[in-house]
Amino acid sequence: MALFELQNVSKHFGGLQVVSNLSLAVEQGEIVSLIGPNGAGKTTVLNLITGLYAPDAGKIVFDGRSIAGKDVHQITRLGIARTFQNLRLFLNMSIIENVMSAAYARTSANWFQIILRTPGFWKEEQHIRAVAEQKLAFFGERLVGYRFEQPAYSLSYANRRRLEIARALMTEPKLLLLDEPAAGMNPKETQEVTELIGKLRDELGLTIILIEHDMGVVGGISDRVIALDHGEKIAEGSFEAVATDPLVIEAYLGRNENMVRK
Amino acid sequence: MSQNKIGVDQWVEQYDQRVNKAKGLQGFIARTSQRLPPWGWLIVLVAVGALLPVITQNNFAIRIAGNIALMGTLALGLNVVVGYAGLLDLGFVAFYGIGAYTYAYLSSDFSGVHLPTWVSLPIIIVISALFGLVLGSPSLRLLGDYLAIVTLGFGQIFVQLMTSLTRVSLPGHERPVDLTGGPNGIINLDKLSLFGFTARTVTDHYLILLVVLAVALLVIYHLNRSRIGRAWRALREDELAAEAMGMPTRRLKLQAFAIGAAVAGFSGALFAGWQGSVFPANFDTTLLISVYAIIVLGGLGSLPGVVVGSIVMVAAPDILRDVTLAGTLFYVGVLVTLIGAIRPRWQTALLIGLVVVFGVIVRLIVGALDAQALAEPQLSNSLITNTVRSWLIIPVNATIIGNYAFGLLILMVLGVSRIKHSVWRLAALVPTLYVLIFVWETRLSQEPSVTRLLFVGVLLIVLMIYRPNGLLGQKRVEIV
Amino acid sequence: MHTQEVGKPMDIFIATLPQQIINGLTLGAVYALIALGYSMVYGVLQLLNFAHGDVYMVGAFIGYGVMMAFIPESGPLFAPVIIIILMLLVAMLGCGVLGIVIEQFAYRPLRNSPRIAPLISALGVSFFIQNAIQLTLTAQFRNYETEKLIAPAAGIDLGFARLSATRALVIVTAIVLMIVLQYLIKRTRLGKAMRAVAIDREAAAMMGVNVDRVIIFTFFIGSALAGAAGVLTGIVFTRVWHFMGFAAGLKGFTAAVLGGIGNIPGAMLGGFILGLAETFAVGFISATYKDVVAFVVLIIVLLLRPRGLLGARIPQKV
Repeated sequence: MALFELQNVSKHFGGLQVVSNLSLAVEQGEIVSLIGPNGAGKTTVLNLITGLYAPDAGKIVFDGRSIAGKDVHQITRLGIARTFQNLRLFLNMSIIENVMSAAYARTSANWFQIILRTPGFWKEEQHIRAVAEQKLAFFGERLVGYRFEQPAYSLSYANRRRLEIARALMTEPKLLLLDEPAAGMNPKETQEVTELIGKLRDELGLTIILIEHDMGVVGGISDRVIALDHGEKIAEGSFEAVATDPLVIEAYLGRNENMVRK
Repeated sequence: MSQNKIGVDQWVEQYDQRVNKAKGLQGFIARTSQRLPPWGWLIVLVAVGALLPVITQNNFAIRIAGNIALMGTLALGLNVVVGYAGLLDLGFVAFYGIGAYTYAYLSSDFSGVHLPTWVSLPIIIVISALFGLVLGSPSLRLLGDYLAIVTLGFGQIFVQLMTSLTRVSLPGHERPVDLTGGPNGIINLDKLSLFGFTARTVTDHYLILLVVLAVALLVIYHLNRSRIGRAWRALREDELAAEAMGMPTRRLKLQAFAIGAAVAGFSGALFAGWQGSVFPANFDTTLLISVYAIIVLGGLGSLPGVVVGSIVMVAAPDILRDVTLAGTLFYVGVLVTLIGAIRPRWQTALLIGLVVVFGVIVRLIVGALDAQALAEPQLSNSLITNTVRSWLIIPVNATIIGNYAFGLLILMVLGVSRIKHSVWRLAALVPTLYVLIFVWETRLSQEPSVTRLLFVGVLLIVLMIYRPNGLLGQKRVEIV
Repeated sequence: MHTQEVGKPMDIFIATLPQQIINGLTLGAVYALIALGYSMVYGVLQLLNFAHGDVYMVGAFIGYGVMMAFIPESGPLFAPVIIIILMLLVAMLGCGVLGIVIEQFAYRPLRNSPRIAPLISALGVSFFIQNAIQLTLTAQFRNYETEKLIAPAAGIDLGFARLSATRALVIVTAIVLMIVLQYLIKRTRLGKAMRAVAIDREAAAMMGVNVDRVIIFTFFIGSALAGAAGVLTGIVFTRVWHFMGFAAGLKGFTAAVLGGIGNIPGAMLGGFILGLAETFAVGFISATYKDVVAFVVLIIVLLLRPRGLLGARIPQKV
């Protein structure tokens, strides 16, 4: 059974249909890329999955249960985490705090324990700290050591993206949604991101859905690619198949009226 | 100078070195606050605070200190709601009132119930928290700014009800019942009694309030350095992202709201026990603005900021009541502001000199035109004030001219703020300062209560524009 | 739970209803004018302008000043109509300018600050204006000498109710102003620019709208309306004092939220509804809880329709 499924999901805003009768399925351990021109509805799909919007029609099934209409934080607790297209870090908090804050859903110290600082509280705090450091260590030397206490706004752009992923990892997700993780990166950083996504699946066992425009990343790491246009699925399959699909090419590049059609 | 390591941000790494080298008061505070653990600060606070009644027998001073501790605790509660969770609760003072009136119901002749304080306090905390939940639940669902107005309304309703519920027909009573004592409030409340110890003197109350403040600071500090504190801060940074990371934002906001209400209610009870009475007028908008001014001045979300803000906001007006002190404080304040705001220092001295010369010239002109128009300066106990008054022109009909001068002053200040930093600005400041002193002597010093509120208003505006993080708040980066 | 003053029986209710409606509409007209200023400013800046009620108060004082200037002991210097128009115009102009000054000095520097900063600044401005008036003009009540301009007996007797001239004046003036405002918003370029800025400030700027100018105009118009409301209040209810802006501001605020904040017709509707509700409550229940009515109504409406009656018009930023 697929880990995650969208079944005939639709969503409109006012008169605009943003997602239209969309169905897709993702198996455990897959890396699926969602591509399509801007405005195709890709981020909307992500928002629907994570509960930011409720679908107008259709079902969203994760790990066997329907999650449509649940609160955002409930969905996160169930095991879906995401990063944001335009980065939404807690800029005035330190790097380690950004990550530690995401442990909220997985921890349980109550008021009594917190105010009285019981041994149980301390144990949990140390555990949170240790796990947070470990998540940050996933990215090599960049976000560790003295960096832990630095405010997040002091980070470079690429490091901010890494921090966002680390923070998402802290919620112990089964399914990770990455919204344009390579946006704004130079070729070397893009290569690193591609490898990173692979590591996330191989070492941490995550299932990943990613939205990307950079075809290098998409081709380099995806098991499967799904193309959207105007809220509808127009192609699905391996990267080679989708990249050469005429509908996909038309969506990205437009149709040449003068071209002789085979 | 360390070697350039790849991937290492030098500027960031040298942060600690920079703090150590930072000059002046800010550097000292930064260094000490890094070295002293939080426990240490609390001990310092309590120790220094407890010394006060030992040093002085002056009840006036101890009362001010008690007020500082009380307002500090109240502001602490508001800080959690506004500074941590980012909720604009404009009815906060109503919870203070609820705590106070509940104390009156539980420990007075008015109701006939006389519970000892250590029994009534937990009840009051629970009731206040419940009111917080009841008000917060529906309100937090509304658009952010609607919360402000609904809570504001709640605050008004509370005062209105407490003033008006004096003739209520209840079943089982022949005549209408007075539920709240009306505008005259409830008096003769029992003193605070904790496990046999009854607070009687000002010092007793002060020490209780000091300990309460310290405990409250500790509790909030503990909450802050925990998963809840991190969640609150995340909530304040970016509510959407916080929710996406698994934090139940609505529940967290409600918790913060309820805590704020509980702290306010608790403080209200202590207030009622100390004052010995409660009146609806105790819980008006002026108090609300004062508490907001405390947390804004100290820095939203900053714990030591609450203490500092409280000292400034409580001590200053209480000191201002003494007219002599008020004058001295005013001139000292003006001098300090000028020295701090105008650099280099020789420009400050030049400015003051020019103002003096200006004043002399004005005096000569007015004297030549109409010597009768000037009145003899009244002598006060302050040397500075006397000196200024003999230099300043004080017209016979001081009040009327002072009023016009006040209007003129506002225009001049607004105008000067528009001039860029330059010779012209300095030149414009000369008459402006003169008019300021003039207005102070003719009008402001004559109406201390109004002046104090004027000052608070201006303070809030200026703070938001030039130092939105208050005195001790952290510099923040905001996503717009 | 009943208060001492028992609610009047049903037949008196029916008999006085038309009169109460007239009174309610009068009060509502004033609230609507105040609410419009709040809604307009919120629409373009997403700012709750706490100082708005105090602008209204200043308007009442300006009107008082003009009135006193032109009515010496002997009687009005010009025809009453001219004096009233003068009062309105001067107050509207003065308050409009005041609104612009407040915006330029207390809100504009905070345009890019977190939302709480201009709110606190607004609280500060409100405080300052109240106390500045108290300082210079004392806390003494002033009373409009309306009887010197409009004979108290003037009015129309409708049989089932009496429409006094002062009340008619208030209602008519308010309606005229609202019609002018609607025309301004719907039919002029400025109005279109205002609506654009309210929906998306950045996009409007990119379309060539001078956002700063639009905001200045919005404050001018909103404050001018408040000033008019102040004068009208003085004419009908006569009493002006430095603290009157507080309650009136809150109610105007409530009315704006009631109709849906940012929504111009909503502000008008909210104002009238609130005026009627308050008058009915005073007439039929008790005068003691007059000020509370506003909030009770607000809370009930917000619980049932969280966006206000006609829906809030604010930009959605997801």
